[in-house]
Amino acid sequence: MLRRLLYAAVAAGVLLGCDAGQGGVRSGASDTAAVGPPAHRVVSLSPSLTELIFTVGGGSRLVGRTRWDTDPPEARAVPSVGDGLEPNLELILARTPDLVVFYDTPANAAAIARLRAAGIATLSLRMDRLEDVPVAARLLGDALGVRPTADSVAEAFETVLQRRRRAVNGPGPGVLILTWDSPPIVIGGGSFLTELVALAGGHNVFADLTQPSAPVSLEAIAERNPDVVLLAGGQAPGFVDRPEWQAVPAVRARRFARVEGSAFSWPSPRSLAAVDRLAAAIAEAGR
Amino acid sequence: MILEARAVSFRYPEADLDAVYAVSLGLESGEIVAVVGPNGSGKTTLLRLLLGVLCPRAGEVLVEGRSVARWSPRDLARVVGVVAQREDQLFPLKVEEAVLFGRYPHLEALGLVRAPDRAAVQRALERCDVAGLTGRRIATLSGGEWQRVRVARALAQEPRVLVLDEATANLDVRHEMEVFELTADLVRHDGIGAIIVTHQVNLAARFADRMLLLHEGATRGLGTPAEVLRPEILEEVFAWPIAMADWRGIPQFVPLRRLPEHEPQRSGACRDPEAGGTA
Amino acid sequence: MRRWLLLGVGAACALALGVLLGPTALDPATIARALAGGGDPATVTIVRDLRLPRALLAFLVGGSLGVTGAALQALVRNPLADPYLLGLSGGAGLGAVLAVALRVAAPWAVPLAALAGALAAVVLVYRVALIAGGVLDARILLLGGVVVGAFAASLMGAVMAVSPAPEVRNALLWLLGSFGRASWHAVALFAAYAVVPLLVLYRLARPLDLLTLGEESAQFLGADVERVKRTLYVAASLLTAVAVSLSGIIGFVGLVVPHAARLAWGRLHRALLPAAFLLGGILMVVADALARTAFAPLELPVGVVTALIGVPVFVLLVRRWAR
Repeated sequence: MLRRLLYAAVAAGVLLGCDAGQGGVRSGASDTAAVGPPAHRVVSLSPSLTELIFTVGGGSRLVGRTRWDTDPPEARAVPSVGDGLEPNLELILARTPDLVVFYDTPANAAAIARLRAAGIATLSLRMDRLEDVPVAARLLGDALGVRPTADSVAEAFETVLQRRRRAVNGPGPGVLILTWDSPPIVIGGGSFLTELVALAGGHNVFADLTQPSAPVSLEAIAERNPDVVLLAGGQAPGFVDRPEWQAVPAVRARRFARVEGSAFSWPSPRSLAAVDRLAAAIAEAGR
Repeated sequence: MILEARAVSFRYPEADLDAVYAVSLGLESGEIVAVVGPNGSGKTTLLRLLLGVLCPRAGEVLVEGRSVARWSPRDLARVVGVVAQREDQLFPLKVEEAVLFGRYPHLEALGLVRAPDRAAVQRALERCDVAGLTGRRIATLSGGEWQRVRVARALAQEPRVLVLDEATANLDVRHEMEVFELTADLVRHDGIGAIIVTHQVNLAARFADRMLLLHEGATRGLGTPAEVLRPEILEEVFAWPIAMADWRGIPQFVPLRRLPEHEPQRSGACRDPEAGGTA
Repeated sequence: MRRWLLLGVGAACALALGVLLGPTALDPATIARALAGGGDPATVTIVRDLRLPRALLAFLVGGSLGVTGAALQALVRNPLADPYLLGLSGGAGLGAVLAVALRVAAPWAVPLAALAGALAAVVLVYRVALIAGGVLDARILLLGGVVVGAFAASLMGAVMAVSPAPEVRNALLWLLGSFGRASWHAVALFAAYAVVPLLVLYRLARPLDLLTLGEESAQFLGADVERVKRTLYVAASLLTAVAVSLSGIIGFVGLVVPHAARLAWGRLHRALLPAAFLLGGILMVVADALARTAFAPLELPVGVVTALIGVPVFVLLVRRWAR
């Protein structure tokens, strides 16, 4: 019973967001990548970072990716080294990398330590919000020795972002960004999706939450009464007919917006480009 | 006859021999029957057969003339009260609560306790001389007191038969005598019948009207203590040299010590080889 | 008599608390009006369609778990018995995870699959525990429950590790227990379904008392031991399976509530079972109310809260009543 208790408490902690976004990119404490020579054989353990590496022009140096990295299509030609979380060190080492790029989370600490001990440089990055993208781009540019391209990508991103921000007028319809229905898990202010929705002309009804995602009670959703429900990610199909969800007017009226594609799974230049698609989906649902 | 076994036999699964073979026994009200025999002689098995816990492979057991298999546990509990050697005490109860358990077979469907039930409990408590212990938790009782409380519980069932299954095995002399005396008293004055399964052959002989001596599942003696307790049979059954003695007309047996230079005596008289007599 | 009054009042207070508290701060006057149907329609929906059924369901489930725990502790003669030792929590989890992994679309798919999984586990454990002669061995029942539960849980883990979909991992969260799925449908369903097993268990109160003496002694005192064991096992399993399928796995209630009830309201089951029901209901409603309000709008898994409340209360009780 004690074990079950502990497990539940840990899960509760995780759910409440012990990985609450502090905003911004974080690099591992004593990253050698920032000051060392540019890397030529890079393994990326995060789909968002894989895509960004290709975008900043470092794709030719990529020798390993996770099995989830399918964008851009060129990434598929790069050998897979398995999972990004709790990575397979054997497969990584087999690629003889000089730099391994991790998704920044405490769970990867052990793997990072092992690779450092083997003399391989590591870089831990995480992009939760849109403004993290140019920062990460520049860091990757340094690490891979493709700073000029990276800089131009970053600047272009910042320009488009500013333009879009200025183009927004008024709060627009309230949007609930839902990723799971039982318990209801919503996207909060710590995620780039919140800003994406804002750029698309709406506002996330749970923007006040600092976490990227969190479980909330159905009552809170009913109270905040979103105009549109954005279904981000899979949820148990059929929840829309469940009696308790009918307490949310948007669900009762079936005002759902759906978007597909990895542009909505992590922040990237493509995400910015997808804002129009998002705006159209929201507007369509609101009718 | 309240309780009767007619030539019952029983074999445990995977056993080569019968645990009980063609044993017959009858119990009338107002009498005490003692069942004695060495370990493994089938006493416990016979008891289980009599109480309907086990099903005989031959013969039958009748309770008040009807086959025991046709009695529901509830009805049977209104006729037969059992006091076992030991029992789980999962939750600490008070004495009167424990004795009240004996009324369960009498409680009707809704399970309410009524005045006649309480009266029966009170009578049982007084009869077993434990009325002074009411209010005490059973965990605080001595072995003898707890045993008397269990007899009271069996009595609260208002049975026609009381069964004591080695119920005094852990008691000291005084408490053991108290239980035996109580049983005898109940049988004489309340007209119930009693079956006592015990290792105390001598005590059994002094209290029982009839005895059943078992050996390897078979009857080696059934009748009055004088008829059953014969030295040659006892020596064979208990596989030990004995001498017989007499206590106020009731045969008692004395197991002899084994001394290497003497042959064991075989006689009814109390000649003591340990006193140094010649063979 | 006074103790029962205390429990009754406690139950009423707990239910009131379940309706008064929530992530949206509503004052009692507004709530009272909403209950009658007046005021802002959104508030009426929240109070009448979300909070009230949720409080009721929590009470019913908590009560059922309390009663089941008490009955099972008597059946297996072990004070550490808990409804989830029957193995059905693993089965329920496996059913739920499979329903999600296979993307079954119906709205009641997950609860039904959980129920099916739970019942399958129960049947399996029952068959394992039936030794020769149709006798249900209580120790094997316990062992069988633990083993079957562990087996199902490991299958569940395998499905979750292998399946690429993130929602399968999310299915695990469902298991942590929540009354977020409560609705009037669920309340009606559970109430209708639970009445029979609860009554059956209450009728077994006297035989359960006898069982605590040991099976043979119980039989000599008139209990039809085999029938009692079978009936009890079936009733307890059905109750717990439905509770799990509607609200996930909420541990601790079935284990500790019977002890608390025993300490304060008596050991004999005619008093113990109703006390365990009321106490379990109270604990569950209060825990659920706290789970939704402590970090509003975030919601904690209710199992965590039941443990956090229950342990200190239990320690207090043991100290006061231990001799």
